Amino acid sequence: MLRKVAIVGQAQMNAADSGMSRERMLFELCKGFYDSMGITRHDIDTFVLCSNDFASGHTISNVFEDCPVGAYMKDETKVEADGVMAATYAMIRIMSGLYDTALVVGNSQGGSVMRPYLVMEYTLNQTYDRQLGLMNELSAAALQARAYMDEFGLTEEQLNKIAARNLRNAALNPFAFNGRADVTPEDVAASDLLYEPLRQLHCYPFTDGACVLLLASEEKAKELTDRPVWIKGVGDSLDTYYPERNAVRSKSVKLAGQRAYKMADVGDPANRIDVAEVSAKFAHQEPIICEGLGLFPEGSGGEVADRGLADLDGAMPICPSGGALGAYAFNAGGLVRLAECHRQLAGDAGDTQVVDARTALAHGQDGFCMQHNAVMIVSVEEG
Amino acid sequence: MAEKPEKLVVDVQVPVDYTYNYRIGPYLERYIKGLGEKKILGVTCPECSKVTVPPRKICGACNRVLDEWVEVGPAGTVENYTVGHVKINKGLVEKLDSPQLLAMIKLDGATVPLLAEVKSIEPTELKKGLRVKAVFKDPPEDSLSDLSHFEAEG
Repeated sequence: MLRKVAIVGQAQMNAADSGMSRERMLFELCKGFYDSMGITRHDIDTFVLCSNDFASGHTISNVFEDCPVGAYMKDETKVEADGVMAATYAMIRIMSGLYDTALVVGNSQGGSVMRPYLVMEYTLNQTYDRQLGLMNELSAAALQARAYMDEFGLTEEQLNKIAARNLRNAALNPFAFNGRADVTPEDVAASDLLYEPLRQLHCYPFTDGACVLLLASEEKAKELTDRPVWIKGVGDSLDTYYPERNAVRSKSVKLAGQRAYKMADVGDPANRIDVAEVSAKFAHQEPIICEGLGLFPEGSGGEVADRGLADLDGAMPICPSGGALGAYAFNAGGLVRLAECHRQLAGDAGDTQVVDARTALAHGQDGFCMQHNAVMIVSVEEG
Repeated sequence: MAEKPEKLVVDVQVPVDYTYNYRIGPYLERYIKGLGEKKILGVTCPECSKVTVPPRKICGACNRVLDEWVEVGPAGTVENYTVGHVKINKGLVEKLDSPQLLAMIKLDGATVPLLAEVKSIEPTELKKGLRVKAVFKDPPEDSLSDLSHFEAEG
């Protein structure tokens, strides 16, 4: 690896409706973050902003974000994809030697400003799928869910267990808003049927949210914190358009994972990873992603759910934060997963803390049924 | 984080109403013309042999031009399905009065499944492996909806 890069701090906010403008939401979050770290905007060398023009209703949507996040007259760039991809870009900028600190900020207001299902609709083929109107984020996800269930025998009851576990975890996480403390698989089964087999509680909630992560070079990281979380590996892979690929055995999840493991020198992820935060926007995507990443054997989603292997105290805790079912702001989603890994490894995860977590995996996705996947491996071990 | 924000007084709505004039291109045009003759056309990749429907010019995986046209269907097998109880209207979820049956149909001779609506059967009859056939609009209207829907074969 060229230069070592660490995550030195994070802050996040998620709500069904923040009640704030995007600019104020970002200002409150970033100013609060600077204050909590005892730094100012002048300590940041480069800014990587992660937002979506269509979602915010601005072309070059970052132009109204620069001043609120503290980027006035600074070096700034934008990623219009998931936050893990933005964090990867920030890491590379530090590794280049040009910068010592990078602030990554992802945001969208899918709860109050623009429904994410519409944003996703506009990622579809405009001359075919958008003309026919049959494909949307929910119908596509339902087809993906059915395909996994048919292929590997996952039952609706097991699917409900996956959702219930995430919603219960989210109730323990102060940064999630959609948590339900005592929710049971039966409660999930009683929620509204959307596209079979998906019900309301299998799906990510419309979210206003933002997340900020501070990355730093080795020297700078050690100045800024005594608990740096080191970035050990990154991987990214982009698949073809939805109906043309196998969405149950996701090749791009697998490749993104393999690339990150190779860089991080992780030979056996099921043993080396202590906790994983994956961007499963729908309950059934959790086993697809985890299996693609080699955290569980292929097709084991039902058994994992029945035996509680992904529970907080399970063999491989998945999304102690509650994952995307607890909150999922477009663009900030993967960044929140990374921030949650930071909380885990810094020992800041409170009621969702995984005991002895030393190495964690964050996953982000973009596009229909996980077309684009990115993985980051982080660890307290400087190595 | 700061204290909970005060209640908003004014909710500003900013509608954006634009019309984009996309060209559908020669591939979809030929596909639509084929539908008018009750034919479903696809293209074969010279490298991976994948038959893509609806047709398009490029195989993403092989980075090759697809120029070998092939007629597929009009019958096929349900590979995957969902029953919709809602629809999404401008990003908002709305309940449907009667369920919508959607299927990924692997047309005979095709590799890529086609997403289409299935009619004239009960939701519980929609299963993986069900044989279905295309129903075309007659007379055709020179649009994608000339392939109206699918119904159970036989």
